[in-house]
Amino acid sequence: MKMLVAVDGSEVADRAVDHVIALARCGAALDIHVLNVRIPVESGHVRLFVHPRDLEDYYREEGLAELAKAARRLDEAGLAHTDHIAVGHIAVTIARYVDERGFDALVMGTHGRGGLRKMLMGSVAQHVLLHIARPVTFVK
Amino acid sequence: MAFLQDGGFWLSLAQIIAIDILLGGDNAVVIALACRRLPEAQRRMGIFWGVVGAIALRIALIFFAVKLLELPFLKLAGAALLVWIGVKLLIPEEEGAHGSVEGSTNLLGAIRTVVVADAVMSIDNVIAVAGAAHGDMTLVVFGILVSIPIIVAGSRIVLHLMDRFPWVITFGGGLLGWIAGGMAVGDPAVARRLAAPQDWHYPAAACGAVVVVTLGSWLARRVAGRRGPTVEIPLRPDPDKS
Repeated sequence: MKMLVAVDGSEVADRAVDHVIALARCGAALDIHVLNVRIPVESGHVRLFVHPRDLEDYYREEGLAELAKAARRLDEAGLAHTDHIAVGHIAVTIARYVDERGFDALVMGTHGRGGLRKMLMGSVAQHVLLHIARPVTFVK
Repeated sequence: MAFLQDGGFWLSLAQIIAIDILLGGDNAVVIALACRRLPEAQRRMGIFWGVVGAIALRIALIFFAVKLLELPFLKLAGAALLVWIGVKLLIPEEEGAHGSVEGSTNLLGAIRTVVVADAVMSIDNVIAVAGAAHGDMTLVVFGILVSIPIIVAGSRIVLHLMDRFPWVITFGGGLLGWIAGGMAVGDPAVARRLAAPQDWHYPAAACGAVVVVTLGSWLARRVAGRRGPTVEIPLRPDPDKS
């Protein structure tokens, strides 16, 4: 089963990863992919003044930082995984990524971090639900 | 401090801060990215002077813009430009040609990029703020001083807000249209032809907001219809490109 787990480096994302690990331990044969989505920072102006390679480096650096914890957890559990960084509107990109790459299921946390972020990210899960056509597991 | 009790003052100030945050975010991004390749200590200096330069340039340009807008027809031109900026704000960016400005590895080079970028990126902001301020420089300076820390500290939060609640951007576009409408009927050449110019201010402002939001949303829907696949960043830099 080709499974995508969307992470943002938050605690609830860690729990989503733990859920995938638990499924694998139950004997499910999983092809695990981890995705972090970066919000695009480029406007026409940014493109004019920033080299595409610098922009890519920036996205990669931020994305790898948010993927690191999930990757470590999966490594420690001895599970193979493929990591991805995509750029776009968070909820829409997660949903389209699942669709485009033919994933069988998506696992993600319902809200990350605290305070304002919690308020914002909580609704990302709702928004994903609107756009997705595959089975989704939300982890609290 | 009588102006503090004036409702119009606070309304204009709120407008200026909203414009600065919505149109200033990419300026902060350019400054940060242009300084990325500098060593840590120089990077902080580059960002600091980049921000100081952005503030100084903005205040100087707005000062001239406020004076220029007193001339006939220039408010009309400014209003047309603002409508265009507002519509552009509502349309998601398409993958387009990239500039070829290499990130500089020395402080002077980075500062040069930042200053040129500041100058170009200030223009839309300056016209909008000059329109909202109705010639009051206290408002302009106050508005910029309040919004700079918000942009510097909160550009991530603003990005998340705009990602999650697209109506924030729609509201920004509408605000620019609103200012454009009021500006157009405030033009000396137009006001001379109207019996009671001040009566036209709010209807014209409302029209401007409606025009920007309608046109912008329509164009945004057309762009969204022909999107490519999701953009993925390779985990390791491609050695061929460097």
